[in-house]
Amino acid sequence: MALILDNLSKRFGGVVASENVNITVPKGKITGLIGPNGAGKTTIVNMITGMLAVSGGTIRVDDTDITRAPADQICRAGLARTFQNIRILPENSVLDNILIGFHRHERCSTLSALLGLPASRRETAAMRARAEALLERFGMRHLAEYPAGGLSYGHQRRVEMMRALASEPEYILLDEPIAGMNDVESDALAVLFRDLADSGIGILLIEHNLRFVTRLCQHIYVLDGGRLIAEGAPEAVLSDPAVLTAYVGGEHA
Amino acid sequence: MMNLLLGYQPLLDLFLLHLGLAYAQWLVLRAGVFSLGTVGLAAVGAYTGGILVVTYGLPAPLALIASALSGGLVALALSVPLARLRGIYQAIATVAFIQIVLSLNIYATNVTGGAQGITGIPKTVGTPLLLLAGAATIYLMYAITHSRLGRAFDAIRQNEAVAASLGVSIVRHQTLAFVLSGALAGVYGALEAFHSYALVPSQFGFPYLIAILSYVVFGGRTSLWGPIVGTAVLILLPEVVRPLADARMLVFGILLILTINFLPKGIADTLIERARGRRLGARRPAEADTAKGS
Ligand SMILES: Nc1ncnc2c1ncn2[C@@H]1O[C@H](COP(=O)(O)OP(=O)(O)OP(=O)(O)O)[C@@H](O)[C@H]1O
Ligand SMILES: [Mg+2]
Repeated sequence: MALILDNLSKRFGGVVASENVNITVPKGKITGLIGPNGAGKTTIVNMITGMLAVSGGTIRVDDTDITRAPADQICRAGLARTFQNIRILPENSVLDNILIGFHRHERCSTLSALLGLPASRRETAAMRARAEALLERFGMRHLAEYPAGGLSYGHQRRVEMMRALASEPEYILLDEPIAGMNDVESDALAVLFRDLADSGIGILLIEHNLRFVTRLCQHIYVLDGGRLIAEGAPEAVLSDPAVLTAYVGGEHA
Repeated sequence: MMNLLLGYQPLLDLFLLHLGLAYAQWLVLRAGVFSLGTVGLAAVGAYTGGILVVTYGLPAPLALIASALSGGLVALALSVPLARLRGIYQAIATVAFIQIVLSLNIYATNVTGGAQGITGIPKTVGTPLLLLAGAATIYLMYAITHSRLGRAFDAIRQNEAVAASLGVSIVRHQTLAFVLSGALAGVYGALEAFHSYALVPSQFGFPYLIAILSYVVFGGRTSLWGPIVGTAVLILLPEVVRPLADARMLVFGILLILTINFLPKGIADTLIERARGRRLGARRPAEADTAKGS
């Protein structure tokens, strides 16, 4: 049971953003994906989630081919993501931002939603309760009613994570989830990510903070110029000469 | 006292008729569809109702249902090309649609009565029925807002990529919003026909489009209160300040420009937002501390 990228490629005109990338994200584990700026990490997440058309190769989730599936269908196949450039719903409250994450699990008929029948009202109440539980877990219960657009980046990133988790994904793709957070905040998230993996979710973690990645992942992939240049256990990979060269002059050590 | 109230009855009727169309406009905008076709769909409903009653002698309630269906079906057909467009291009396409409806009303003389329009429609709709329709409309909009549909509409309007990444089918929801809006516009078009003896082709033209759009933009595009406040203020204003009555369209135009510039969210939405800000602000000192600790 895994999310498998097989020879995945993407070209933007002449620019090769990824070339023959093979990555496996198993369930119940945190898989790291690192690489210098412009290496093609976000491009891979965008291809997996159906936001960019794939130029070559295949993407499979537990033996279902999702290479050319539309984004909403990919979510329903059990994939969720957060965005590197934060994308919350700015006009909505924090709570409403999370509520939309439950969309995949909403079952009441269109007619009862239109007419406001008890089935629809019960569903809304049940989703609210679940959203509040998530807020509790992320320590943001007191911010539930605030407009999400006015929160700090750290809080907005957590809103995105809660929203993604609300869809109860089998796999979650986190694109630089702790960017802009302090050590206390990122430590709390490290614990949370490990809990998620322990509960059986497969996590793909993209991060520039190598210490954070080393701490959480048993297996990491290194991308440079759209190609994988190394993979394996963090200690081995980070001492690989090719990786050191890619990061030379890099500010990310 | 009674006389005074009776004096205002035509105004109340006008308010209720326009409120329905304002909600039809509000609903599509909420789902992120930039359709301006509401009055075109109202025309479809009005003519369907008028023709069925006058030419075919159908009872008004049946004709009303047919009007809802015709508005919804035409919207469904229109949603196919609209789904491929975004923003300003949707606006242009729907204005073109209004133009097509207007031309058909004028040139399909056999069916629509041409430039003369349709006369001799029995008046079957009065204030009580309009009040009932208004209450039903507000309830429906409230129910939609607080359902999975309203949540999906909000997400799509603010960020399509986010909505899709959370499993929301954009085409399906925008089509649904547009069809519902079309059916609602069809109903209110027919109510207008059954309220006023006659239909003329120019009735559902550009001035009406601007009026409906003004109600929503001026009142507010996201809260339930928006259309009510916008329609009430803009209908009452020319009556309260009598000299303005002759320049109704001029006033609407100026107010539209002023609102977009200074209260881009409309008065109701802005007031609601301020009230929420004050309520949360009052609780802030304690919040800020907890937030720092977390
Ligand atoms: N939509 C696009 N059109 C054209 N080129 C693009 C597009 N998206 C990404 N690229 C290019 O593809 C390459 C990889 O970009 P990508 O954003 O995937 O890198 P990244 O590894 O996520 O970098 P960062 O660490 O800065 O987030 C870059 O050269 C970028 O300019
Ligand atoms: Mg990136």
